[in-house]
Amino acid sequence: MKSSDIKAVHRFLGTYLIAEGALMALCLIPALHFGDGTELPITLSAMFTLAIGVLLRQRYKAFHTIEDRRIAYLLVVMIWVVMSLFATLPFLTTGSTTSFTAAWFESMSGVTSCGATVFPEVGSLPASVLLWRSMTQWFGGYGIVLIVLALTPRLGINKFALYSAEASGADNAGRNTVRTVVTVRRTLAVYLMLTLAFIVALYLSGMQLWDAVNLTFTNISSGGFSVNTDSIASVTPLQQYILAAAMFFSGMNFTMLFLLFTFRWKQLGHKFDQLRAYIAVYLLAAAFVTIGLHWHSGIAWGDSIRLGVVQTVSALTTTGSVVADYTLWWTPLTFLLLMLAISGGMAGSTSGGLKIMRVLILLRNARAILRNRLHPNVVNPVRLNGKPISGHLANNVMVIFIVFGASLMLGVMGLMLCGVNPSESIGASVGCLTGYGPGLGASGGFGSYAHFPPAALWFSSFLMLMGRLECMTLIVLLLPRFWRR
Amino acid sequence: MLLMATSMVLPVAVSLHYGDGAQYGLLVSGVIIAGAGLFMRNLLGHNATYEMQERESFWITSVVWLVVPLCGAIPYLFTGVLEDFTDAVFESVSGFTTTGSSVIIRPEGVPQGILVWRAITQWIGGLGLILFVIALQRRLSRGAQKLYSAEFSGTQQRKLHPHIARSVSRMWNIYTLITLVLIALLLLAGNTTLDSFCLALSTVSTGGFTTTQFGMSGFSDLTLTILTVFMFLSGVNVALLYNFFTLKWRRFKVNQEFLFYVVLFLFASLSCFVAFSVANGGFSVANLQFSFFHIASTISTCGFYTDSPAVWPLWPAVLTFVLILSGACAGSTGGGIKLRRLMTLFLYLRNYLTRMVHPNVVFTVKIDHKKVPGEYVNKIFGFIFLYICFIIGGAFLLTCCGSSIHEAFCLAASNISNLGPSPLINSLGASLDYAMLPVLSKWVLVILMLVGRLEIFALLAIVSPSYWKHR
Repeated sequence: MKSSDIKAVHRFLGTYLIAEGALMALCLIPALHFGDGTELPITLSAMFTLAIGVLLRQRYKAFHTIEDRRIAYLLVVMIWVVMSLFATLPFLTTGSTTSFTAAWFESMSGVTSCGATVFPEVGSLPASVLLWRSMTQWFGGYGIVLIVLALTPRLGINKFALYSAEASGADNAGRNTVRTVVTVRRTLAVYLMLTLAFIVALYLSGMQLWDAVNLTFTNISSGGFSVNTDSIASVTPLQQYILAAAMFFSGMNFTMLFLLFTFRWKQLGHKFDQLRAYIAVYLLAAAFVTIGLHWHSGIAWGDSIRLGVVQTVSALTTTGSVVADYTLWWTPLTFLLLMLAISGGMAGSTSGGLKIMRVLILLRNARAILRNRLHPNVVNPVRLNGKPISGHLANNVMVIFIVFGASLMLGVMGLMLCGVNPSESIGASVGCLTGYGPGLGASGGFGSYAHFPPAALWFSSFLMLMGRLECMTLIVLLLPRFWRR
Repeated sequence: MLLMATSMVLPVAVSLHYGDGAQYGLLVSGVIIAGAGLFMRNLLGHNATYEMQERESFWITSVVWLVVPLCGAIPYLFTGVLEDFTDAVFESVSGFTTTGSSVIIRPEGVPQGILVWRAITQWIGGLGLILFVIALQRRLSRGAQKLYSAEFSGTQQRKLHPHIARSVSRMWNIYTLITLVLIALLLLAGNTTLDSFCLALSTVSTGGFTTTQFGMSGFSDLTLTILTVFMFLSGVNVALLYNFFTLKWRRFKVNQEFLFYVVLFLFASLSCFVAFSVANGGFSVANLQFSFFHIASTISTCGFYTDSPAVWPLWPAVLTFVLILSGACAGSTGGGIKLRRLMTLFLYLRNYLTRMVHPNVVFTVKIDHKKVPGEYVNKIFGFIFLYICFIIGGAFLLTCCGSSIHEAFCLAASNISNLGPSPLINSLGASLDYAMLPVLSKWVLVILMLVGRLEIFALLAIVSPSYWKHR
């Protein structure tokens, strides 16, 4: 790696840190408004972050274009790590936690929009810290990289390389720099608009502005933090349905939403395979959960429909807001929720997991193989939206599936080796890798990860990063060949 | 035409019956099966030189595997060992698929004829009923090859002999030979005739039925050592063993899968040994022996269990779970995904990662210095995807019947890979006791065992709509 590349990386990090510092400064508003006495620590954290950012940018002024792909991978991983590192400052300086491990876990969970928390009593945290948690999810959910790309089009790096490192795989986003920028801007517009719309909707439904802002931030980003210890269980049913709608949107492809909202329906063409699958999976799962709750657990129809609708969408979009303690439900229902989290929402959304698009390709590919074995001389292409996809793409999806599955298994085993019990390990591994957040047992439902040993917390936060970067970007760094010239 | 093959199998099963029909019930069921078989055979006639298509071969494979275990259940019912139909089918399927999950809690208490019958079902299942049929009926010329590929789907086999029936009968010979050697060795080690016979058949077929309530814990160290060696051998590709014993060393050497198998086995055993020793205070021969026994039993998906050390550290448990899924070499009697597939996968993955960094580099996956075509890699991916789907689906249904999530996963994984009982399941707090499972769970496990044994595609093919279209 050339030294000029390293300089460019520093410059990037500087830019991101300035943005992060500015957002941190916004947390002063609730600190002053509620008077919770955290003005000084928050100011210091923001100043420090800003200062480092400015320093890095000043030091490496030279404009430089990065061509090496490896730098792109490295940069993306570094951005998440560094952002998460500085995001720990508010937790530590305000004394919300004294342990760096806990702070790191929390900020990683925020930045990757996972939603697992180490604070058993979220409600007792100072307001500024609560807003900071929501904010990390909000910008993390959309992808820090994408935000900055949208705002600063002339950063010089090969943007497509960066974009594909961030959201590898089956996204049909632009193939060249220009279209990538357009895509990013459009999706950001949708994101901002949705955020605003849901804040207003929640406010109109009678929620406090403070709660409305925080809950919108965490649900539209499919994050799942809350300002209350009982997540979203204590808000009114109407507000829960509104939040469910927010989560549902967060699991949809944003480019598609943009075209829908701007009435450019012709451009959508016939690309509805994924949307159809998303809606079908959601409806089936919600119906199953609703009926299961009613028949097996004897919950009245009204409640079981509400729980089914809200908790299912929370799982499918890997948000992780909890409307009732699903760990106490009938086992298959809990199991189904975990499986939904693994499937995830649509590609190009803020949700985690494998993404419906990939699941679709996997299933169709399996069907094609089966047909091929039955009728060896018939050509059976795997089709998506009516068009055959290349074998290369199918294999790419398979690779991601295998790696994701292997990471999930390694996650379970790693957590067990760290001393977490088997059932909780499964829950936590799914929760962290997919970005769902809560898992099973004491760390599921309204619980927290507070009782995890430090090693397990570190490992979980690694899983979050792994899941957020869709495995490959992180794994390629572990390859010895990557570092060889 | 399709049922013809079924009728061929049945007399075979029956002939094995007569040798040990000490019990009145066994005899009766034997007669019934024979009657049914002869009836079908006569009904359909002897005009039997067909050229089968893939479709028919899938059909026959699946039907044989469904019908034969059903008939195999009859002895359990007639002797009154198992009164429930579900239990009898479960036991029989578990035998024929070489899984070894048992609903008989106290094997000492049942008639000896039944024990022998259990062992025999495993032994037949071991190399595959189909191979057995082909070896005996050399009529199906070209169709036979299709049948062969339906049985071992996806794993490329090097044929031992251009004529498939000849190569199958060679496999059969080596299989029989190993069994006989093992029986002799077990007798020499001082076991009773019954024990030697049953254990040998269970081991060679990687089944796992035992003759005592407490697994292998009552047997001498020498017996366990012998079994360890033979479990290891039964995880090796039978064709390889043939080459080995006929002194064709050159072919033996180039097989990378075997090397991988050996390395994996040694690594797993030794690391387990270290883990057990650290956890249980001090290195001892007993621990060493247990580690090797346990790993051999797991990697070959045999599923014998014995007295385990008092404390189970997590590493062996974790390792066991991985090995359950990975299984042994392709072309062996073991279950699981098979190492050859995993190797291909791993090599492809490595190339993929390199391509992420250097997009213009062209790679191929090579095993034994031969290129693996991309289409084949895709099939392996598809296979593993479906395998995982079945584990998840099975586990889901098991949770519906009241298992906890991790229990359900262990049960589903160990049965789809035809492992059967494993100390791992106990160490995770689940029960080894299949007899206590609800009826629906047993049927789920029955399906999983069959799916695992037939390597998914054959069974899935006949239930897929496109199979029934264009008829």
